[in-house]
Amino acid sequence: MPPTFRFFTSLDTSATFLRGWLLLTGLLLWMDTAKVSAEDAKTYLDEVKPLLRERCYACHGALKQKGRLRLDTAQRILAAEVIANGELLARVTSQDPEKRMPHEGAPLKPAQIAILRRWIDAGTPAPENEAEEADPKSHWAFQRIERPPVPAGAFCNPVDAFLGAKQSGHSLKVQPEAERSILIRRASLDLTGLPPTEAQLTSQAPFEETVDRLLESPQYGERWGRHWMDVWRYSDWYGLGAQLRNSQKHLWHWRDWIVQSLNTDKGYDRMVEEMLAGDEIAPDDIDSVTGTGFLARNYYLFNRTTWLDDTIEHTAKAFLGLTMNCAKCHDHKYDPISQVDYYRFRAIFEPHQIRLDEIPGETDFEKDGLPRAYDDQPGAETFLHVRGDPAHPDKETKITPGVPAILAGFETPPRPVELPLSAWAPGARDFVRRDLLRAAETRLADAEQALKKAREARATPPPLQSAAAPASPEAPAAVITDAFDTARPELWTLEGPGWRYQGGSLAQLESTRDKQFARTKIAHPADFDLTLKFRTTGGGTYKSVGIRFDVSHDGSEANTVYASAHAPGPKVQIAHTKGNQTTYPSNGKIDRPIQLNRDHELGIRVRDRLINVTLNGEFLLAYTLPGRAPGGLLELFAFDATAEFDSLEVHPLPLAVALKDAGAPAKAGTTVDPAAALELAEARVAESETGLRSLQARIAADDAALLGKDSGAAKEAALLERKHAVAAARVELLTAEAGKVDAAMKALAAAEKNLQNSDTAHTPVRGSFKALETPEHTQAQYPATYAKVSTGRRTALARWITSRENPLTARVAVNHIWMRHFGEPLVETVFDFGLRAPKPEHADLLDYLAAELIDSGWSMKHLHRLLLTSRTWRRSSSNLGADPQTLAADPANHFYWRMAPRRMESEVLRDSLLQLGGQLDLQAGGPSLEAGGDSHRRSLYLKHSRDDQSLLLATFDDADILACYRRSESIVPQQALALSNSKLSLDTGRLLAGNIGPVSDDRAFALKAFSLVLCRAPTEEELTACLEFLKAVPKRDRLVHALLNHNDFVMIR
Amino acid sequence: MNPETSFLASRRHFLHQAGLGFGGMALNSLLQAETRLPPSGKPHSTPKAKSVIWLFMRGGVSHMESFDPKPALNRYAGKTIEETPYADVLAPERFKDLRVVVVNDANGKTRNTIYPLQVGYQPRGQSGALVSDWFPHLGGCVDDLAIIRSMWTTDNNHGAQVQFHSGRHMLDPRVPTIGAWVNYGLGTLNENLPQFINMGPRFFDKRDGHYLGPAYDAVTLKIDPQKPLDFAKPEGNVTPEEQLLGLGLTNRLNRMAAKGYPGDAILEARIRSYELAYRMQTAVPDVIDFSGESEATKKLYGLDQQETRPFGEQLLAARRFVERGVRFIQIMHGDGAAGAWDQHSKLRENHSKLALQVDRPAAGLLQDLKQRGLLDDTIVVFATEFGRTPGSQGSDGRDHHPFGFSVWMAGGGIRGGIVHGATDELGFHAVEDPHYVTDVHATILRQLGLDPRALEVPGHKRLERDFGHPIEAILT
Repeated sequence: MPPTFRFFTSLDTSATFLRGWLLLTGLLLWMDTAKVSAEDAKTYLDEVKPLLRERCYACHGALKQKGRLRLDTAQRILAAEVIANGELLARVTSQDPEKRMPHEGAPLKPAQIAILRRWIDAGTPAPENEAEEADPKSHWAFQRIERPPVPAGAFCNPVDAFLGAKQSGHSLKVQPEAERSILIRRASLDLTGLPPTEAQLTSQAPFEETVDRLLESPQYGERWGRHWMDVWRYSDWYGLGAQLRNSQKHLWHWRDWIVQSLNTDKGYDRMVEEMLAGDEIAPDDIDSVTGTGFLARNYYLFNRTTWLDDTIEHTAKAFLGLTMNCAKCHDHKYDPISQVDYYRFRAIFEPHQIRLDEIPGETDFEKDGLPRAYDDQPGAETFLHVRGDPAHPDKETKITPGVPAILAGFETPPRPVELPLSAWAPGARDFVRRDLLRAAETRLADAEQALKKAREARATPPPLQSAAAPASPEAPAAVITDAFDTARPELWTLEGPGWRYQGGSLAQLESTRDKQFARTKIAHPADFDLTLKFRTTGGGTYKSVGIRFDVSHDGSEANTVYASAHAPGPKVQIAHTKGNQTTYPSNGKIDRPIQLNRDHELGIRVRDRLINVTLNGEFLLAYTLPGRAPGGLLELFAFDATAEFDSLEVHPLPLAVALKDAGAPAKAGTTVDPAAALELAEARVAESETGLRSLQARIAADDAALLGKDSGAAKEAALLERKHAVAAARVELLTAEAGKVDAAMKALAAAEKNLQNSDTAHTPVRGSFKALETPEHTQAQYPATYAKVSTGRRTALARWITSRENPLTARVAVNHIWMRHFGEPLVETVFDFGLRAPKPEHADLLDYLAAELIDSGWSMKHLHRLLLTSRTWRRSSSNLGADPQTLAADPANHFYWRMAPRRMESEVLRDSLLQLGGQLDLQAGGPSLEAGGDSHRRSLYLKHSRDDQSLLLATFDDADILACYRRSESIVPQQALALSNSKLSLDTGRLLAGNIGPVSDDRAFALKAFSLVLCRAPTEEELTACLEFLKAVPKRDRLVHALLNHNDFVMIR
Repeated sequence: MNPETSFLASRRHFLHQAGLGFGGMALNSLLQAETRLPPSGKPHSTPKAKSVIWLFMRGGVSHMESFDPKPALNRYAGKTIEETPYADVLAPERFKDLRVVVVNDANGKTRNTIYPLQVGYQPRGQSGALVSDWFPHLGGCVDDLAIIRSMWTTDNNHGAQVQFHSGRHMLDPRVPTIGAWVNYGLGTLNENLPQFINMGPRFFDKRDGHYLGPAYDAVTLKIDPQKPLDFAKPEGNVTPEEQLLGLGLTNRLNRMAAKGYPGDAILEARIRSYELAYRMQTAVPDVIDFSGESEATKKLYGLDQQETRPFGEQLLAARRFVERGVRFIQIMHGDGAAGAWDQHSKLRENHSKLALQVDRPAAGLLQDLKQRGLLDDTIVVFATEFGRTPGSQGSDGRDHHPFGFSVWMAGGGIRGGIVHGATDELGFHAVEDPHYVTDVHATILRQLGLDPRALEVPGHKRLERDFGHPIEAILT
């Protein structure tokens, strides 16, 4: 009996198709050949060939023919005589690693060798007419994109025409269009990431107009910006403490560039070009240069190879769908990409570095700056790393920049780009100079103002009230001292989970706004002198660390002093709590930079209601407390912060110690001696004056240097800089702390001596901040100007990627866009269009859309419009009433006979909740916001990095910052907990119920709530359930909350 | 085919996943169940163990001052390594596996001047294995431990923490961790609880599942009855009754909606996830409610002492999770970015303090598991990312040392009272039966009845080294 077989349609998955093909082959062999039984050929096809394919084809197949040997058909194996001469078995069984095959990876296992032996012993039975491995050049994705003809039929939209032809070919019956309100919701969520408003929901505008309106909305750029941020790996900077290690500060400029580019429908080609080479293509155009944030994101402080590996891998995956990363250590195992190709690709990026350019109006790079790429070392050489090991560069092989050879036919050689002055000498830009001069002038004006006041103070000395003297040697014994070396449960009550004794400190490890404290079990003296040493180590928004005193036993009364490292407004604050209400008086506050992980010493002296506060020896505040309570306790705390407390000492305050009166100026200096104050004010004026003059001279010297003139300006500037250094050293001396006076005197002497120096080199004005190449470098080591010529390598790459001839770029982009509208991509492996990606079922549709994208000027809005106005996209996502044959034939919906439901991405979910509750703040752009904060802005504006992640967003699968070509859509119980218990969903329920307003009867309310949350009317049954619920729980917000947890809410139906 | 069965493949997948309790599912694979089905949830071979308690000391425990005492360090204290008879440990070819992330870092150097042992040691138990005096209670349990003194890794910085959990170096792509593989490979024994739990300060890679998906990440748990899990209780004013009725309404409406979406596996999974979530809300706080534990038990774990309580509570919770069928409980010890055990200085002061925090609870855990008959099918692992240098760093510290270090394993079919493998006389290189970190993973998977090769996911190639080899010598 011949083996039975059935004809396999292309409906089958590739695996079953392959099985079918094998059966078919077996059958034909059985019928055609007498000498080889189907059973024997089966051994070759089922066992030998897969083994050879897995372990040998990479070097001995269509890709490569090392030693001129090909093993991809039995005929070739036999022709090569490696079996006849025993070479094959000898090599795979050799004990000599030099001889043994395969060269890479583990040796073949005994069972695998046995397969080969068995086949050889059986006389190498094999099918005839065995097909060779296809030539890699013929791979579908490497063919030029040609627009296929649209199949004839009654379809206006090409998407429907291509799919309709297939559907009728397979006798599949499509589902009807979804109901209108569901469609409007789908369109709104797809294009803006926000649910429709009531007016939009009930609008009778034609659907095409709705799509156009949504595409014109600024929220479109935010929604699709987040999609592309996934693909292009957006991440805010992260590192350790203050040390930047990954990505760049202020990368939000690039995020805003993405959003803006999409909103203005900048061509996809232009976006790619600007991301890779905006600095070369339009060096004077800040918008184009901002695009290179794509490259800045890959910055890695510690290891240049890791940095460039990431750049190579994700440039290739994102734009080309090529896994070039697989060719780093050896030639690609599956694709025609050699290791040399990999390092030629690296050579394109080798010269580039990252820097922050000054933003007009802001001279502090900590506060703002534009992260961007530029060619720093045009001559930087690239070497192939043997086996991918950077310690073993192959100095013999010269690596020139270039794209993978197999697709290099339309490559154009790089042409060096002459940069304008503004690009290579950013310090010479007008606004940079203007901002620096303005800052220097303001400093001088402030110093002169202070001098005026000091002169007046000198004329009328204040009433005698001397500065707080240090505690006298005979100070009474400390009543509370703790160095926190070990736990002292007899002294402290620790409340809250985050307290630990570690490394000689008492640490609070969990940043929370919940009540947690270390409270003494004994009362402190009424009048006391307290010193607290601590470090703020991190935390959420406020990062407040400090101490409460006069704490009542129930904690409802207290006075407090704390330091807040809140980034926008760090300060030291006195506060008082009465009846659990805390007041933060503005005259009990002083702005001070509180740096993380720095040792701080907080000094507090209290006598009756008068309190003096010092920080690190500097007097900060004198203040009168509204009240005191005797017998209070002390409490250490960290609010929204983590901290380490090193020591606490509390002594009774000796009568001899004088406190500053609360009437004293809040911003007292380190001295109140009017003569000394005057001296300091004069020194500061001298310092800022020489500072301004030296800046002016440096600018003049810069100009002279740029014009190639030697006008003596540099000499003049250098001299003024030395004078400024002396003035600055004088200020340092006058403000030096007790222990540092000697050092300050020496520094001043050195500066004065340096006046004799005749060095004529001045310090050029810097308008940018280069990202450190390694942690050992400092900014001062880098020149203030950069190379005048950029290599043009990245431009050549970008133009090659966006060339009409490039077969990959438009296909890859279309596939990403399609997947985000239809739930499933046309090509399953969205970042790998290489040889392992089989030709997709809908290759014709993919090619048509790719051609359409290109021919529309790479307009993504055009593509969205085309897809959303298709009938395919508008179909119901339900199986209800589906044709049974269709269900049976295509249960996985490969032919798009219905719409695929998708879960909202985490950002869409959060934004939708905010919108429904009327809380959404639509302010666009700007610096990233604290991930754990209480901002109501759209989620793409929250910080997203390895160390900054919103808990709510993370629960619903936010983007993996390392690579996120496709989001996960998990369904886990934590999501149920988050949606039922989070403050956001509870608030939304309450606010939305309130916004629905005073609807008299429950029925009308339920109808409205259904419509707003799920965008559809309830069935009678559903309505009854809601009404029954409202009878049992007469709280309408609970009904809304239940709907927010409905599957139809989190799904895009 | 009727609509109810049209999603047969994904329904099968769903039912499997629903059995996982917290396991959940990745939608992509759910819709394409035929191309990527996770494993069946059943072991591939007869399991010897059901659960794993994974104790990880972050920062790098000195192997010489814990489980691999080296008298030679006292003998040659103050001499350089070249001045000892063991100068060959510095031969360059012996460093070929090292891969450096942070070039020119101040740490992660070979330290050349021999630093003497900072603590005494003695033979313990019947086996007489040497354990330092900082671990007296664990020393008392030595006859239950298989001490492995020949671990090695390739990262000389704290990225080795990632490597110890995943087998891959910091410079490689991130891949699933051992806990994620166990979670992926095995079905749950209690669907009301998460099946992969993390307690304590996590290392800087905060995900476990990676290409398996976020459903295989560890669930973070705190010993805080008010908030053991994120979103464990309503962050607002909701009575338990209202909550129950509200969830009931959601579920009822979802079931009604199912009529409009016949055979919709996602909808069914959502309904199920809400049911599980509700049950977990009570089941998890129950586990960390120790009121039913005897005073003797609490004392065993050191709950009576401030120093030992935090770790002891986590370990007691771990035992209670094991009793309830949770597969993998991962407990990290040692705060800070690098980990508290990272003693570049003040080694004696800080290692002794940290050892005090973990010694009694860990020993208590072993005794408690044993007396309850749980040790037979529970594997306990005590590990760290690397050891510390035989030479001194500064005046009183030791640097990172990836070339040889110690871990121990116990229970779950692992032989007790044995010392396996060895470093050289100085404690420098693992010289006898050296084991890469994935050998620990392979040993665990073997005992749980899992074949790592059968867990492979198409499109995500694993290297030979990723699989490791079970350490046969320590298995019964």
